[in-house]
Amino acid sequence: MTPKFNIDRPRISDEEIDKHKDFNQLIKKFKQQSLQKAKLDKSWWKSKKVRYTSVIAGITVICTITYLTILNSEKHQNITNENITTQNTEQNVTNNLQEIQGAKDQTAFVNAPSKKITVSYSSYKVNNAKGGEIKHTTASRVKISNNSFVDKNGKNIVGDVTIEYREFHDKGDIIASGIPMAYDSAGKKYNLESAGMFDIKGSQNGEPVFIKPGKDLKIELASANDEDRFNQYYLDTIERNWKYIKKDIINSNKSDRSLKEHSVSANQQNKNSTSQKIEKLKNEVEIVIPRKIDSVKNVYTKKADALPKAKEPAKPKKSTGRPTFKIDASTNDFPELAAFDNAVFEVGGENTNYTKDMHEITWNDVKITQGPQKGVNYLLTLTYHKRIEKLIMYPVLNGADFEKALKKYEQKFDVYQGLVEKREADEKRLMAEMEAKQKIYLAELQKKKDEYAKEKSLLEAKMQAQETNGLANNFSNMSNQNRATRIFNVTNFGVYNSDCPHSIPQQGKSVTPIFVLSVNDKPLFPDIIYLVDHNQNMVFNYAQADFSKIKYNSTGINSFVVFIKNKMYLCNKNAFKLTANNSSNIFTVTELPETADNLIDFKKALEI
Amino acid sequence: MAINSHYHHTSDQLNEELVIIEAAKINPERFGPLYNKYYKQIFNYVYQRSEDKDTAFDLTGQVFLKALTNLNNYQFKGVPFASWLYRIAHNELMQMFRTLKDKRSINADIGDLRFICQETEEPFFEEYIPAIKQLLLQLNSDDLQMVELRFFEKRPFKEIADILDITEVNAKVRMYRIIEKLKKSLNKLKM
Repeated sequence: MTPKFNIDRPRISDEEIDKHKDFNQLIKKFKQQSLQKAKLDKSWWKSKKVRYTSVIAGITVICTITYLTILNSEKHQNITNENITTQNTEQNVTNNLQEIQGAKDQTAFVNAPSKKITVSYSSYKVNNAKGGEIKHTTASRVKISNNSFVDKNGKNIVGDVTIEYREFHDKGDIIASGIPMAYDSAGKKYNLESAGMFDIKGSQNGEPVFIKPGKDLKIELASANDEDRFNQYYLDTIERNWKYIKKDIINSNKSDRSLKEHSVSANQQNKNSTSQKIEKLKNEVEIVIPRKIDSVKNVYTKKADALPKAKEPAKPKKSTGRPTFKIDASTNDFPELAAFDNAVFEVGGENTNYTKDMHEITWNDVKITQGPQKGVNYLLTLTYHKRIEKLIMYPVLNGADFEKALKKYEQKFDVYQGLVEKREADEKRLMAEMEAKQKIYLAELQKKKDEYAKEKSLLEAKMQAQETNGLANNFSNMSNQNRATRIFNVTNFGVYNSDCPHSIPQQGKSVTPIFVLSVNDKPLFPDIIYLVDHNQNMVFNYAQADFSKIKYNSTGINSFVVFIKNKMYLCNKNAFKLTANNSSNIFTVTELPETADNLIDFKKALEI
Repeated sequence: MAINSHYHHTSDQLNEELVIIEAAKINPERFGPLYNKYYKQIFNYVYQRSEDKDTAFDLTGQVFLKALTNLNNYQFKGVPFASWLYRIAHNELMQMFRTLKDKRSINADIGDLRFICQETEEPFFEEYIPAIKQLLLQLNSDDLQMVELRFFEKRPFKEIADILDITEVNAKVRMYRIIEKLKKSLNKLKM
């Protein structure tokens, strides 16, 4: 069939093409295809091992499902049998169960990018019957009226309730929290600019407690921003979105300067000097003292080696009557023979090739060399034209020569034995000296180890306290002039935010960033990217599927924080600007050092 | 003739692509930047040769799926990744046309036909259009493809060579022969 020839056919608009562009769909298809391919791979199924394993796995799954179904139905029965007092409480229990489910899902929705930088909870105890007021380090207050908490069955809690509370104020806190700041309002995408955010939860003996229906906790969140353009939102971890609550209620509180001032620099100095001490101790425990112990061992081993070594004299051997050869063996070549005057070489019984005619031949060449047992026997090589004979020979003495040699040997052996005893005594003495010296070092090592452990735990405690104080101080320094209090009425535990939604920048500059390490230009493949907008209190986070959707305000100040398997890399303001000015998409990043393993140092690196 | 310059890549751009390809070989989800970069180009290439847009969208998806499936076989030859995608697209199109011949279409602007006349040093009149169309339809599929790539899509010879997996010189020689062939045929139109 002849193809159709169209002239000036209308083109498809970019918008329509973009509508069909769906990378997630492509990945989905790719995965399905890979799965089908694996299923169709007959060679894989042919394997008996695989087949048996699959059958066993199948049976296991069926058994597990059956067991869980039975268990579930029993549980359901139990719940329906319980006495639930009021309809309200019943509703509350349902809500609370949803909350628990939500909290489970939260692990995926709220995903802290690194274990090193976390915003810790502060823990407070409140007696449920009396209620109380919590004063947080940032001057925020949590006001709790009496009997505000119930258990999962809707019954009033008796005794103390543990309230865990933490706040997030700046970009560093937001990144560390892993709380997504994207907001979807009726299909329109926004990113939230925060004027302060908090996370509150309650428990008793490890079991979650719930806010009683009709009651609320009044939270006065200390905020560094006193503008009134913010709204209140609640993070719905089930819907995986922020829920608008109401317009923010704000009390400007500029005269409040009651926060305790902390000296970060003093704390830092203190931390540095303690760290140095620990490093010194660590060095002594791991390197200096073990090296001294080794050194002592080396010195004494050398001394022991240098002790004079006595040589055992060779014992003369008496002739057995077997045939002998008289050979002039050089005592230069065989000094052990010097002790035996008039020694002859006796033919060893192992020589099956020996014949009497060997004594009658005038051999062209006679050679004697060391035998198979050094100092005991010798190898005699006799050559007559093409005939070569090899015999193993033993030096022996006859009659008076033997007696004389034996006497000489006994004298030498006594001297030898004396020398051996002396050496053994000397070795023993050196060993004792070595052990005594090592004992001193081992005691020193143990002492330093104890000191090291003590200093380390002290430093950890100090750092934790410093982090809490430092964060409060950071907040205090953030903007004393703009201090305000934002009032929240909390009816459910969870994450609340005072936010102003901003449209995702449509006019921003699009970029698919490539990150390279500043030290070696090696490319990196991040797990998650945070774009920090320094002009506002805003952080945009991007998962791998969205790396090509990044847009930034090219006239603003930005930086990138990227995470790869718990490691943090930073493209600071200057590096970002440099790349942006060159209209490039290659961003140079620096790995944050191991020492910057806390939120304060992370914020410093981020220049906030 | 103004030739499209989008094909040219700097060494930085080529390296950047290579980094993404190597990453995508390990984790297909990292293929995103290349998908976003080339989706429109590949769609336009496919649509230019297809009768309807739905088929073109389906086929474009198929091209990227095939690219992702065979990514481990991809070998960098110092040219943009696009050339490999075009080759996949070309093969997919050919396969479709073998079974669904009615899906093949040729799409050009009047300006493109005028341009053919210019290249063959022949005058252009609108009444020639049906005859030029007829001439082009008489070309064999390889020659018609060259005309589409060069005259309708204004691609540089280097890119044409990479798409068709031939040398640049070969592409130029083939183009020259096609122009000569068209010249003769257009000459006959005047008679």
